[in-house]
Amino acid sequence: MLKNNNLKICRRLIMRDIKFHRVQYILLSVSVALVCMLYTISLCLGNLTYDGFMYSYKIMYGSESHILFYDLTSSQAAGIKNHRSVKNAVSLSAIGVLSDEMLGNRSVKLAVVSPGWAKETDAVPMQGRMPEKQNEIALDELTMNSLAIPREPGAEVSLRWTPADGGGERMDTFILCGFWENRMGLTETCAWVTEETAQAFCGGTPEKLALGVTLYRPAGLEKQGAEILSDLGIQDIPFTTSLAFNDARQEHAGITAMRFYRMNLIVMLCGILMLYHIVRLSAAQDVRFYGRIKSLGMTPRQLRVLWVERASLLSLFGVLPGWLSGFLLCAVLAPHVVVGMEENPALCFFRLSPFPVSGILTFLTTGIACSLPMRTVTGKTPVEAMKFVEKEGAGSRRGRRRRTSLFLMALSGLSRQRGRSLPGTLSLLLALCILCCIWMQGASYDQEKYLEGMALFDYLIADASAEASIQRYNPKSRSITEEIYEALASHPAVTGIGAVRTMEVPMYADEKGRAQILATFEEADENGTARKEYMADNPDWMAGYEKMRKDGEYIGIVAGVGGLTLEKAMARNIFIEGSFSAELFGTGKYVIAAGSSSPVLKTTPPAGSRVVIEGREFEIMASVPYEESMISGADSREAEFNVTYYMPEEVFEELFPDHGIRNVGINIDQNSQKEFEQFLDSQLQGTGASVVSVSDYQWVFRNSVFHNCMIPLFVGSVMLMIGILNFGNVLARGVLVRKKEFAVYESLGMTKRQIRRLLLLEGALYLGSMLLILIPATAVITWLWGRWWLANTNTWCVTWHYSLMPLWISIPILAALVLLVPLYFLNVVTRESVTERMRVI
Amino acid sequence: MEVIVKATGLKKYYGKGEALVKALDGVDLEIERGKFTAIVGTSGSGKSTLLNMLGGLDVPSEGSVQIGGQELSRLNSEQATIFRRKQIGFIFQNYNLIPVLTVWENIIFPITLDGRKPDEKFIMEIVQFLGLESRLDTLPNNLSGGQQQRVAIARALASKPSLILADEPTGNLDSRTSGDVVGSLKVTSAQFRQSIVMITHNPEIAAQADRIIRIEDGKIVTTFGKAGQ
Repeated sequence: MLKNNNLKICRRLIMRDIKFHRVQYILLSVSVALVCMLYTISLCLGNLTYDGFMYSYKIMYGSESHILFYDLTSSQAAGIKNHRSVKNAVSLSAIGVLSDEMLGNRSVKLAVVSPGWAKETDAVPMQGRMPEKQNEIALDELTMNSLAIPREPGAEVSLRWTPADGGGERMDTFILCGFWENRMGLTETCAWVTEETAQAFCGGTPEKLALGVTLYRPAGLEKQGAEILSDLGIQDIPFTTSLAFNDARQEHAGITAMRFYRMNLIVMLCGILMLYHIVRLSAAQDVRFYGRIKSLGMTPRQLRVLWVERASLLSLFGVLPGWLSGFLLCAVLAPHVVVGMEENPALCFFRLSPFPVSGILTFLTTGIACSLPMRTVTGKTPVEAMKFVEKEGAGSRRGRRRRTSLFLMALSGLSRQRGRSLPGTLSLLLALCILCCIWMQGASYDQEKYLEGMALFDYLIADASAEASIQRYNPKSRSITEEIYEALASHPAVTGIGAVRTMEVPMYADEKGRAQILATFEEADENGTARKEYMADNPDWMAGYEKMRKDGEYIGIVAGVGGLTLEKAMARNIFIEGSFSAELFGTGKYVIAAGSSSPVLKTTPPAGSRVVIEGREFEIMASVPYEESMISGADSREAEFNVTYYMPEEVFEELFPDHGIRNVGINIDQNSQKEFEQFLDSQLQGTGASVVSVSDYQWVFRNSVFHNCMIPLFVGSVMLMIGILNFGNVLARGVLVRKKEFAVYESLGMTKRQIRRLLLLEGALYLGSMLLILIPATAVITWLWGRWWLANTNTWCVTWHYSLMPLWISIPILAALVLLVPLYFLNVVTRESVTERMRVI
Repeated sequence: MEVIVKATGLKKYYGKGEALVKALDGVDLEIERGKFTAIVGTSGSGKSTLLNMLGGLDVPSEGSVQIGGQELSRLNSEQATIFRRKQIGFIFQNYNLIPVLTVWENIIFPITLDGRKPDEKFIMEIVQFLGLESRLDTLPNNLSGGQQQRVAIARALASKPSLILADEPTGNLDSRTSGDVVGSLKVTSAQFRQSIVMITHNPEIAAQADRIIRIEDGKIVTTFGKAGQ
């Protein structure tokens, strides 16, 4: 008897409610879409960040495979391939290693074409093709640049290589058939030849193989690798595991992604607040409505269904636009956030999982926010619910004989609303504090300081062999010819230009010079550690240092500088010893020594001492910190420990005639930037020379600032938006819930104009009282936080810049709401006649 | 005679200490099936509170209410609601119409909630009697106060409850319609053996009741019955 419940009526009631309260539902749907958008963004960005890290780790590792096994026989390789843990495997048969010293620390294996391995290591020719005939070879561009090999398919290429079977180094000539850009394999890659070629060189198939393995379960790779070998009884086989599945790196990626996932908590809080404030607009009315239908026989179960269906419908309206806008916004933000991808990572790493999760979270948020009137009704009898009235402030107490004026009525209205306006004021204060603090932080990052430290020139053009910091400069490369240099120098937009030419020269430090350098590196620093110990993980540096300590012999990097490059080398005006005289330097009898980049450590022979370069004696005029962005690329492994000597370019050319240009620094008239860049492109086309412009550094700087400030700015903006919405709600509510009250005023003779003035006064008083709290509190909190941040930040390119810009931007918005919202809603409610409004149910 | 409503020691207190208000202060009452009972009293005497307690719309501070032998306090919220919508028809002082539903939908609302099919023929008779046939598709906000009250009456009668609780049902009706409404209530109650408990200030309507209960300060002070006058 007591079980008969009709649930369809709930849907009908909701649909009717939507029809009758369109504006409120549109507002709610937009808010739900906004909440869903925020969830989608934070979840997508979290996923993308994690995937971006994984991708960059794979690039660092150089392969998509989970484990690489080396030195395997073909039967061992077959055993691993067939192991139960292995999903698939690709093999590599290397016949030797390229051994040209110009490759520096890079390892390039000469190997038989393996399409699987090439795919896993992104070593597939993008220009030309894989070798098909004997003596054909495919190479990566970094190797070609280092060895000064032109990008011409069909060209003859002579390569020095060492066979894997232990034979001596040999030189062979190949035909270049294809090449590819290095995305992976920066430190280790392959040079592909055919099996036929390999057999011709080695007299058979190489005995040893490498195997790249993909596992079914990419976790605990070290353990699984050892288990595979143990199962096969070949524990001595060396193997490496992918950095992308290393626990510590995964943890690091997870922690970084967590910043975004954590944002969901704030989104949920903000979302509930936002929806709650809209629902609250009609909460008392809703409670009375629920009380009424409860009195007519609607059961608690039917009420719950009504609530769930309301939340579901709202979620349904908001989720699709939320997903779409969230994904689009993510596509815009992702390239600034995700590490390791220049293309749009939102498309590269697209995953579906954030969407259902954001949908569920949106439904939960909406459900919680919509439960407000329902929770109020629960525990109330129908009579109590029907009589429900929201508690209001007591109102201002006035003397009985005082006259009533619009101002006093507005003051009383403000006092009645104080309970409702306090949460709104607090959420605005919180949002403005977050925004102002982050705004101030962003404004304090000093681009000028950064560029001063990072970009010496508007454009730095590097030889093809000195493009990357891991590449050893090859003087034979000559991708920047004298003609190019002359053409660039004579361009009308160029205001300054200078070239750097370098030569590694064996040098000798006398007792005095040696003593100064040794004293610096043997001495303990403030941590009690001898400075040379910090270089212990660089065996080449240690070997060079030991040689200098024992015999006084070391490698000097002699750099011929002139024009703009000389000017920039001295621009910092920091002299550890001695001083600079352009006149004396120009005589060609002096050099400037540069050791470490520290502005205080003496890591060169002392100023005033003499050094011999190519049989010619020079006096060290001064010792300066080494300017890292002055010289591109790397030097030989023997020169890891070195002292750089700057000398005039004319003297350098006398000592080392017909020597290539390593890099060129150029400053231009910024008004002709576009024209100059077109000219630069045309000059450097096909040379392989690389260009880094000051705008690249500016982009990096802005991107870093954006990356640092984006999340708190985003959260602050959302909170500010919610705060402003709440403020608008309070204003709207101040009109909508007083429909009857205004009808009474009108019936008693108050004109609409007077009501409008009353509402404007109420709004102005509300705004004024809020600003009395907001302005001083935001100013003080921002100042205190800024001072603390400045004292504790470890960033070098900051300058204190106090700004309350978000506050100043918000005030006119709030003022506009005060003017527009009450008048608009008054217009809406007064469309009905006074009698109709007084009769309203 | 069969007793349909039995209230024992009903009390309803609001507030505490000096602010304590005794809306009902120990009411014992029995109402017989098929009888028309009028409750009269001054404003704030506790009439509406008593009616709400009898209908299970409010919970007493002390005491109990039985409807048709069912003790209301023994039912949970879900059961109490279903029991109420099946057994009791309410006519509220402020009508309690659902603004988003049409007049027809309002009238059949309690039946729809119950998942039953409305007896359209019977309901149309009520509608015609109350003069609402041309307003069935109208929304309540577009009706006059009197029309809204008639919709509330039609709704209470539509589900043929055994007990009708009416809080000033004729307050907004002219004297002729008031007389007609009370007359029709009496007719339908006789037809379906319904009991009517009605709050009224109108002595003429009260005079039509089988029994008049006067309530003052939350207590029944006098009871007049036609049988026992």
